[in-house]
Amino acid sequence: MAAPVGKAARGWSVLALGLRSVVPRLPGLTQVRWSRYGPEYRDPQIDKEYYRKPLAELTEEEKYEQELRKTQLIKAAPAAKTSSVFEDPMISKFTNMMMKGGNKVLARSLVTQTLEAVKRKQFEKYHAASAEEQATIERNPYTIFHQALKNCEPVIGLVPILRGGHFYQVPVPLPDRRRRFLAMKWMITECREKKHRRMLMPEKLSHELLEAFHNQGPVVKKKHDMHKMAEANRALAHYRWW
Amino acid sequence: MLKRMTRLVSGARQLDPGRLLHRGPQAPQSLAAHPDNQVPDGSPRAVSCTSEGDPVRTFNEACLMVRRPALELLRYLKNTNFAHPAVRYVLYGEKGTGKTLSLCHVIHFCAKQDWLILHIPDAHLWVKNCRDLLQSTYNKQRFDQPMEASSWLKNFKTVNERFLSQIKVQEKYVWNKRESTEKGRPLGEVVEQGLTRVRNATDAVGIVLKELKSQSRLGAFRLLVAVDGVNALWGRTTLKREDKSPVAPEELALVHSLRKMVRNDWHGGAIVLTLSQTGSLFKPRKAYLPQELLGKEGFDALDPFIPILVSNYSPKEFESCIQYYLENSWLQHEKAHTEEGKKELLFLSNANPGQLERLCAYL
Repeated sequence: MAAPVGKAARGWSVLALGLRSVVPRLPGLTQVRWSRYGPEYRDPQIDKEYYRKPLAELTEEEKYEQELRKTQLIKAAPAAKTSSVFEDPMISKFTNMMMKGGNKVLARSLVTQTLEAVKRKQFEKYHAASAEEQATIERNPYTIFHQALKNCEPVIGLVPILRGGHFYQVPVPLPDRRRRFLAMKWMITECREKKHRRMLMPEKLSHELLEAFHNQGPVVKKKHDMHKMAEANRALAHYRWW
Repeated sequence: MLKRMTRLVSGARQLDPGRLLHRGPQAPQSLAAHPDNQVPDGSPRAVSCTSEGDPVRTFNEACLMVRRPALELLRYLKNTNFAHPAVRYVLYGEKGTGKTLSLCHVIHFCAKQDWLILHIPDAHLWVKNCRDLLQSTYNKQRFDQPMEASSWLKNFKTVNERFLSQIKVQEKYVWNKRESTEKGRPLGEVVEQGLTRVRNATDAVGIVLKELKSQSRLGAFRLLVAVDGVNALWGRTTLKREDKSPVAPEELALVHSLRKMVRNDWHGGAIVLTLSQTGSLFKPRKAYLPQELLGKEGFDALDPFIPILVSNYSPKEFESCIQYYLENSWLQHEKAHTEEGKKELLFLSNANPGQLERLCAYL
């Protein structure tokens, strides 16, 4: 019963409120990424602590929020999002990018095997090292993963802009999400293409992550190449209008 | 209760010099004992474990948790009467509960007590994926498996080095026109013959088993027969002859000699067996009871035996396992130290040791 109500409400709200997305709706452009939910749908609250707070501790706004949620429409939580304490949004995004053909089971097992491989390599190094070096060796696979991807993020990117019939590569500051996406994309592409046929993905990925953690390796080199290209094209920076 | 939870910490100090363990990718292989505590640095050292990773390389030590099934078995072994026929103990349980490691614990104990260990790390490897099946020289009806037999002989040699010179053969064995082993020669020669002439390796294994069985009643040594995945001996095989007809397990010479070994018609030792669904052929995934895995034939062959159930971790054992991981800093995730994290691990693994290990591997 909620579905027809939702659709009717959405039809009404689109007419009344007009546009609901940031990109201006031009005649030649169609929205590629859109959701079936209207703007009045609120995001689901996954956090367990939110629901565990006793009634006495809530402030006025939170009480109002909770009352409001009883009547508002709420989107369904995605299947991959859990209230587990071990959940990491970056790992989930990385798993989704590794996934091929909807095989999330395989992608997730590859990522967990990579984390395990990173951990084991670091443990071996730890036991082989002397006491002073042991303090510097990082063994947590999650910190290594985050730091490695942060080291691979480019600061500035190139965008093709059409001027006078030619496309020019213009240096442009990238938003956060684009940088994270590029880092993960480069890492995955590098590991898929530049490995030996018989080498397994977790082994190659763990090797690349450890190299990126130390600011070495092909992915960090690609980031530096991107920066150099942007530096070379800095005369075209005026073509940017935003 | 707490006394039982103390870990058998055979640390690098004791375990490496005192133990020579062989590594298998998925299956554990034999455990060896050296009487003295010094081991030369060049000696091969690997680890008996069921998982992918090598705990000795990761933690610089190899530890077992002392659990109730193993303690029960050790108590029975300590009170064995060697004049009576060998008692068969069967460890059974669901997947990942610790049957193989309990077996390893028992083997370690017996090795420390200087028993002669006859350890078959995984009987399932003998009934599947065999590249070369030769027609047996001893009996035309049966098949030889040279690769499996020679690798087992190599392990046997490393494990029971010191017994090989003490035990003498009681019959003359003729290998071919030029080679034979006289009566009264040490057993080590038979093993060497099996290792050098790979074609005769299966027959060498058969001879070793026969000799050990007949001589264990003399009382010079105590024999422990430890077989992991014993349900392979009475199941089906995936091996085929050249005309694509299937091979039954009794047509394999190794399986035939092992079946004779596991019968309780000898005395002077004990037989400890483990059932395993993991490597088994044509058995449903959820099967774990002896009747289901052994089938009628196997159950009748092994009857009577003492069944020992190996179950999931109790709350104290679970806590102890998590504490061990935290002490070794194996659990690196910052949320794993909290109560919430522990509750979640308990929920996700259902206190199953194998599942918990796989979860903690990436946390």
